[in-house]
Amino acid sequence: MIEARALGARVGGFALADVSFTVPRGGYGVVIGPAGSGKTTLLETIAGITPMTSGTLTLDGQDAKGLAPEQRRVGFVYQHGYLFPHLSVEENVAYGAPDAAAALVIARRIGAAELFGRAVRGLSGGERQLVAISRALATRPTVLLLDEPFSALDPRRRSIVRGEVRTLHRELGLTVLQVTHDFAEAGLLGDVAILLDRGRVLQSGPPEVVFQKPATPYVAEFLGAENVFAGEVRVLPELPPDWLPGESGELTHENKAIEFRTGRMTIYTVGDGVPGPAHAIIRAGEVVLSHDPALSSARNRFVGKVSEIATLGALTRVTLDVGGTPLVASLTTRSARDLGIRAGDQMWASFKAMAVHLC
Amino acid sequence: MPYRTVTATHRLATVLAALGGSLLLVFLAAPLAQLVGSSGVSGLARLGVDAELRSALGLTAVTATAATLLGIAGGTPIAYLLDRRDLHGKSILAALLDLPLLVPHPVAGIALLLVLGRQSAVGGALLSAGLRVVGSPFGIVCAMLFVSSPLYVSAAREAFGRVDTRFESVARTLGDTPWRAFRRVTLPLSLRGLIAAAVVMWARAVSEFGAIVILTYNPKVASVLSYDRFTSFGLSEALPVAAVLVLLAFLPLLALRALRAERGAGVTA
Repeated sequence: MIEARALGARVGGFALADVSFTVPRGGYGVVIGPAGSGKTTLLETIAGITPMTSGTLTLDGQDAKGLAPEQRRVGFVYQHGYLFPHLSVEENVAYGAPDAAAALVIARRIGAAELFGRAVRGLSGGERQLVAISRALATRPTVLLLDEPFSALDPRRRSIVRGEVRTLHRELGLTVLQVTHDFAEAGLLGDVAILLDRGRVLQSGPPEVVFQKPATPYVAEFLGAENVFAGEVRVLPELPPDWLPGESGELTHENKAIEFRTGRMTIYTVGDGVPGPAHAIIRAGEVVLSHDPALSSARNRFVGKVSEIATLGALTRVTLDVGGTPLVASLTTRSARDLGIRAGDQMWASFKAMAVHLC
Repeated sequence: MPYRTVTATHRLATVLAALGGSLLLVFLAAPLAQLVGSSGVSGLARLGVDAELRSALGLTAVTATAATLLGIAGGTPIAYLLDRRDLHGKSILAALLDLPLLVPHPVAGIALLLVLGRQSAVGGALLSAGLRVVGSPFGIVCAMLFVSSPLYVSAAREAFGRVDTRFESVARTLGDTPWRAFRRVTLPLSLRGLIAAAVVMWARAVSEFGAIVILTYNPKVASVLSYDRFTSFGLSEALPVAAVLVLLAFLPLLALRALRAERGAGVTA
């Protein structure tokens, strides 16, 4: 388990401040954040490489303050591996291992054993990462800290190694905290996502919650939410008469029907929103496009003009101008082709009330 | 500016730079080449018959080696701390360590005489313990250490600086104590740089004259002997000794070249 409470650390002019999160024992935490947000500093503070200046840090129930890095049973894999160039690959993997056999077992699992006998200086970036991961795991740590460990691997190898690390994490009961800038990876691997910016935690929790319900517009935009609107929330005193029967089940005593106005758009949603200024976030994947308004039963429907079409491989992003407000929809390129979407077309965009997240 | 004018200016600058560089090169190389050319062979031949010259060279090598070993023992921890730790007054300490390089060497000898001479407390205590500083090989070692160890500290600090601190961090997470991480990782990775630093210090110690001549004129090291021959017997007697010293200076120079060629561009991930 990694439990940080109001954790602080300082490196030169950069400060990590008031960082709090919990990765349960055997859990997989993912740290996401822009460059310079303090992701590596956070891992180094947990490892004991950078001294903590405030707060508490508990590793597997033990207070880590005052514990030297070698006493923490923490494995650390840097993005660039930091393999010892004066040692062979085999010696690197066995560096902190209890015995050579244990090192070999781990190296075989990760795919680094085939590199034994090679000189460290001749390894590619991906191969270095494989050796570095093996070296860290060979020490049998209870906590594994990974600083973008798969970034130099090709997509096929990344998928294999990611799966192997996940399997080892489960088998060995490791608590893992991994830094990544890949949101898909964060969703695939993480039990807990920690969003860091300028040395502070913006939001932490299950990845699906962080991604679907970002705490702030900044978080939403950072996580790639395409539609973030500033506007005004109005709580509807009673269910509006035109509320669709299919969605009425969502309206429990905890949820209120909400009207959100932004520009010329009026968006309906449900939740525990407070009247006043707020932001509405709608993932582009939740927005459905059609030429015919009758094809959708969603609560929110808007007509607009296609202002931009961007094809990104299998996905196409279509921007609709709704009375001066851009609304982005994401659909498969095949669907976009079937719909025959062209710039300047008039189309209908619709999304369900439950697809709207207010913050 | 028109292209033709730019080209003409460029050519003129190139010619001036080449001329300046060539003149300096000739200025540096000509005296040494002349010295070796005129007396190199006779100097080497003199080695076989001149017992005082052999003795001076032997004493120079032994005392310079002793000074270098002392410099390594004391300078390595200082260099490591200066590179790796955020010490209070670090810049003052670094400036103090550079000071002996800036002081005229006879002045350094006088300063050492004040601290280690017979009349001083330290010198008196050493003398009563049977260790004479002035007029002894120990005095030569002290003079060499004073003037050349700052070079070692500076180069050793640079050698440590070329090793990314994250190698040590990784070693610590792999179970090493700070000392063990230093021994297993930092030391091997900076070893070539440290050896190069030691060679520079040794070479500087061998060439020292000013501080040594104040502390210990006799027994004579090679530099003092060449000066002694010049003042006592004239240029003709000093030349062979001087030529041998120049030829011997090539040994550490070659060692340095070999080390630098292998050292590469630093140790990073």
